[in-house]
Amino acid sequence: MTGDLLRLALLGAQLGFLAIIYFVLFGFARALLRDLRGAERAQLVSQAGIGRLMVLESPEDEPPSGRPISLGPINSLGRNVNNTIFIEDDFASANHAMLTFRGRSWFIEDQGSTNGTYVNAHRIDRPVALSYGDELTIGRVRMRLER
Amino acid sequence: MHLTLAPRWRELRFLLPLFGLVPLGFAITHVAASGLFEPGALEVAVAYAALFLAAHAILVVSGHRGDQLLLPTVGILGAFGMVMLNRLPQDIAGMSAFGIELGMAQTQLLWFAIGLAAMLVVAVGLRDDGFLRHYKYTWAVAGALLLLFTFLFGREIYGARLWIYVGPIGIQPGEFIKIVLVVFIAGYLAETRSLLAGASLRIGPISLPPLPYLAPMLALFVAVMLIVVISRDLGTALLFFGIFLTMLFVATGRRIYVVFGMLLFVAGSWVAYELFSHVQRRVNAWIDPFADPTDTGYQTVQALYGLARGGLFGEGLGQGLLTTNGRPTIFAVETDFIFTAIAEELGVLGAMALLALALLLVFRGLRIAIGARDEFSALLAIGLTTSLGLQTLIIVGGNVKLIPLTGVTFPFVSYGGSSLLASFIVIGLLLSISHRSALNR
Amino acid sequence: MMAANIRRLSAYLVVGFAIVSLGLGYWAVIDAPTLAARADNPEVINARRSAPRGIIFDASGGVLASTTLTDGVAVRSYADPAFSHVIGYASLRYGTTGLEEAYDDILSGLSDPNPVSDMIDDLLDRPMEPSDLQLTIDRRLQDFAAQQLGASVGAIVALDPRTGAILASVSTPTYDASPLTGDSESSEGALDAISAQPNNPLVDRTRQGRYTPGSIMKVFTAAAALDSGVITPDTTYEEQPREETEGLVVDGFTITEHDLGVAPALWNLSPAMQVSSNIYFAHVGLDLGPERFLEYGERFGFCRGFTIGEGERALAVAPSYVTVSSPDGGCSPFNGDVDLASAAFGQAEVVVTPMQMARVAATIANGGVMPEPYVVGSVRSHSEDGAPGDIVLDRATPSAGRRVVGQSTAAQVRGVMVDAVEGELGRLYAGNGAVTLYGAIGSTAGKTGTAQRAEGEPHSWFIGFAPAQAGATPAIAVAVLLEGGGAGSVAAAPIGGAVMAQWLTLQAAR
Repeated sequence: MTGDLLRLALLGAQLGFLAIIYFVLFGFARALLRDLRGAERAQLVSQAGIGRLMVLESPEDEPPSGRPISLGPINSLGRNVNNTIFIEDDFASANHAMLTFRGRSWFIEDQGSTNGTYVNAHRIDRPVALSYGDELTIGRVRMRLER
Repeated sequence: MHLTLAPRWRELRFLLPLFGLVPLGFAITHVAASGLFEPGALEVAVAYAALFLAAHAILVVSGHRGDQLLLPTVGILGAFGMVMLNRLPQDIAGMSAFGIELGMAQTQLLWFAIGLAAMLVVAVGLRDDGFLRHYKYTWAVAGALLLLFTFLFGREIYGARLWIYVGPIGIQPGEFIKIVLVVFIAGYLAETRSLLAGASLRIGPISLPPLPYLAPMLALFVAVMLIVVISRDLGTALLFFGIFLTMLFVATGRRIYVVFGMLLFVAGSWVAYELFSHVQRRVNAWIDPFADPTDTGYQTVQALYGLARGGLFGEGLGQGLLTTNGRPTIFAVETDFIFTAIAEELGVLGAMALLALALLLVFRGLRIAIGARDEFSALLAIGLTTSLGLQTLIIVGGNVKLIPLTGVTFPFVSYGGSSLLASFIVIGLLLSISHRSALNR
Repeated sequence: MMAANIRRLSAYLVVGFAIVSLGLGYWAVIDAPTLAARADNPEVINARRSAPRGIIFDASGGVLASTTLTDGVAVRSYADPAFSHVIGYASLRYGTTGLEEAYDDILSGLSDPNPVSDMIDDLLDRPMEPSDLQLTIDRRLQDFAAQQLGASVGAIVALDPRTGAILASVSTPTYDASPLTGDSESSEGALDAISAQPNNPLVDRTRQGRYTPGSIMKVFTAAAALDSGVITPDTTYEEQPREETEGLVVDGFTITEHDLGVAPALWNLSPAMQVSSNIYFAHVGLDLGPERFLEYGERFGFCRGFTIGEGERALAVAPSYVTVSSPDGGCSPFNGDVDLASAAFGQAEVVVTPMQMARVAATIANGGVMPEPYVVGSVRSHSEDGAPGDIVLDRATPSAGRRVVGQSTAAQVRGVMVDAVEGELGRLYAGNGAVTLYGAIGSTAGKTGTAQRAEGEPHSWFIGFAPAQAGATPAIAVAVLLEGGGAGSVAAAPIGGAVMAQWLTLQAAR
C-alpha cells in the first residue's frame, strides 16, 4: 500500500512538473503572439505611410503651397538645402526643427532657431508630441500634419 | 556604454518557474530511484536556476534591452536536460581536472555557467558588429584552418576526428565553426544580396544564378563541407548545408537555389553512400534496423523501444530507461538520444512540450531577424536561429528514425560543453542584435 | 521582401517540427504495441527471463502449465503433452505459440483483464502481476481422447453444443513442450528435435489440418436442402435405385456408388443417410444448385477462417472450403455440376478442419444455432498454492451463437443422424453399434465418413453428438479424424462413441 502511495505521489509530482512546463510554454506562446500582432500593426502603419505635411501657406512657394510633402520617420526642416524638407523663407533658420516619428506618435523639436517653431500658434520650447491635424509654423510657412 | 538600469520583468517572470521546475524534477527522480519520501540533493538544481537568475540580473544592470524570451526558453530547455542528466548514472560522462571529480550533471552545470558567461560577454560586450562583418574572410579562413587542424591532429572518437584536447577539456571546433560560417555567409550575402536576387545569367530560356558573384562564398563553403564530410561528421555536414541554403533563400527569395542545393545534396549523399562504408552502415541501420537488431541496428532499435515504452504519458520521470549492467540500454542516451530518453519518461506529452519550446526559440530568433536594423544583422539572426532549429530537427529526426541518426546534439538539452558554449554564444549574438534594434527604435 | 521570406521560412520550420512530431507519435503510440511485443525488446527479454507467469488450469482445477524460478530464470513446465497444441509454449528461445501467445499479456501480467485496473496499474507503474487461466477442457476427457487415438495420426474435437466450450481438442502425434522452455542456451535444438520426428508433431491438426471430409459432409447437404425446402425427409429419386448400380451421369462424367453392402432400393433421406448413398446425395446437391450450396456453406462457416475466442486473445482456425479457394480467401464458384454433385457427398474440392466439422455437428445438436467455440473459461488472480484462485478477473460469456438453419430442419437432420447410428441399416455403417457404448444413458446421433484420397488409405471420419433421443439436450458434439485410418465405421466411429460415452459418464458421476 505504501508502494501505491509512493507511486501516486510520483504521478502527482510529475503532473505538476508537466503543468509548470506547459504553463510557461503557454506564457511564451502568448507573449510571442502578442509581439507578432504588435509587429504586424506597426507594419500596417508603415505600409499605409506614417504621415504627410500639407503646405497651407508658403510665400516663396518652396515648399510649394497647397501640395503635400510625404514624410519619413526622421525629417529635418530648415533653410539649408541639405534638410529633408527645404524651406526657402527668410524667417526660417538653416537648421530649424526636427520632425520625428517615434513609436506611434510624431514629435517636433526646435533646433535652436532664431524665430522659433510654432505648434497651433504656440511657440514650443521643448520636444512636443503632435497629433494629426496639428498646425506647424516655421517662419512664414504654415503646414498641417496629416495622416 | 549605457549603464542605466532597464527592468526586464517579462524575463524575470518566466525565469522564476525554474526554481520550482528543476528541483521538482530532481526530487521526483530521487524518490523514484530510492523509494523514499525525501527530495534528495537539490544543490545542482537550485544552482542551475540561480545561474539563470544571475545572468538576468547582469542583463538588467547593464541596461540591456535585448529580447526577454530567449533566456527563459533556453532555461526551460536546459531544465529538461539537467533533470535527465542528473537521473542517469553519473559516471557515464564527466570531468576530472585539477584533482576535482565532477559527475555528469555537475559538469553540465559548470558548462552552463561558462556558457551563460560567454553569452553575457557577447550580448553586453558586442555593441557594434563591425568587426564581425568587416573581417568576415579572416574569420572564415581561420575557422576553416581550425577545422583542418582538428581533422589532422584531433583525437579520434567513434571513428571521427572531431575533438581537440586542451589539457583535460575536449573541445569540438565544429560547433564554433558553425557560428563563424554563419557570420561569413551573412556578411557576404548582405553585400551581394541585391545582385544575387536580381541578376541572372541567361542561356536561352534558362535563367541561371549569377555564378561569378557566388563563387567566393561557394569556394569557401565547399572547402568547409569537404573537411566536414571527410572527417565523417555527417550530421554537421547536413546542418551546414541546411544553414547555407536557408540563408541563401531568405536573402534572395529564390527557391531555385534551394531546389538546386537539395539536388546537389542528394547527389552528394549518394556519392558518400557509395564511397564510405560507415555511411552505408548508418543508412542500412536506418532503413531496416530490425534486420540486425543486436549489432548495427542495436542503437536505433533500443531507442525505438524507448519511445514505445514511453507512449503518450511516459513511464514517469526516473522510472523509465531500462538498464543492463547499470548502463541504459539506449546507447549515447546523454547526447544523441536525450530526446528519446525524455520521450520515454515524460511521454509524447512531455516531448511535445520540448519540441514546442525549441520551436518557440526559433520563432523568437526569426522575430529578431525581422526587427533587425540592417540586413547583415537580419541574415546573422536567420543563420544563427536556423542553426539551432535545424540541429534540433536533425537530431530529433534521427531519434524518431525519419532520417539516419547523426551525432549532432540537441541544443541546450544534450550533454556536452562545446555544444552548450556554442549555443550560448548564438543566444548572446541574438540578444545583441535585438538590443541594437531596440535602441534604434 | 526579406520579411516575407522569413515568414515563409518559419512556415517551413513549423512543417519540419510537425513532421518529427508525427514521427514521434508513430513510434510512441501507433507502432508501440508492436514494438513492445517484439521478442528482442529488452523489456520483454527481462520480463520473460525472470518474471513469474500465470498458471494454466484445466476445467477441474489441475495444473497444466506452471512456472518455477530457478537461479533467477523462470522455467515453464507443462504437465500434459495432450494439451501441447492448445496451450503451445512460452520459450525464451523460440517465442510463444498457442494460448501462451494469445494470452501472453495476461499470463505475463503486462495487462489486466479489467480495463479500469489496467489503466490504474499503468498510471501508477505498478509491478506486473500475472494472472492465471482456467480452460474449458477437462484433463480427464482430453487424456481419454488422446489414449483413444494412441499412435494413430489424427485429431479429436469435442464441443459443448450449448455454449461452444471446447471439451477436448487433441491432435496426434503430440510433443512435450517443457524442453523448449527455460534458459535460451539449455533449450537449444529442442524444437528441431521435435520437428524432425515423423508426421510433424508441431501441427495442430484440429485447427490447421485440412482434409477431404467424405460422407460426414452429407449432414451439411441434408441440412441445407431441408432448410431451403428443396427436399423433405420423404423425397425420393426414381432413377436412384438404377443409378446405384449403373452410375449417375453428370455432364458426361459418371458418378459411381461406393460398395453399399446392401441391395439398392428406392430410398428417402433416412435410409439414404444410413447406407450413405452417394447417388442420393448427388441428386440432392444438384437440386440444391451451386448458389444455394455456397450460400449454406458460408452460413455454416465454410469458406473463411474463424477463431477460438475473440479479438487478439484467440486461436486461429484455418478456413474450410466447399470449392477451390478463391484468391480473396473465400470459396470460388463451382466449376460445374460434377463438382457440385461430388461436393454434396464430401468429395471433389471440399476440404475441412476437424474443428469446423465439430462446429457443424454442434449446430445440429444445438437446434440449428452454431455456437462460437472458446477454450479459456476464466481468467483468475494468480494462485500461490497450485489451486485455482478464488478471484475471477474475467469469465468467458458464451455468445448466443448464430442461427444457421431452422429448428425443425435441425430436428429432422438430428433424427436422420440418430438413424445413421442406430437404424437397421445405419448400425452397419456406424461400427455396428460401437458408437452407442453407453446405450443405457441414451442414444447417439452421428455420421461416419470415409474420405477417398488420390493415393493411400482413405481418411476415417466421424461426427456426432449425444444424448440425442427425443427430449434430450445434447451435451457433447465430436469430430474424429484419423489420417489414412480407413473406413469411418471401423476406426473413427468407435472412438467418437467412446469419447462421448466417457464424457457423459464423467458428467453423470459428478
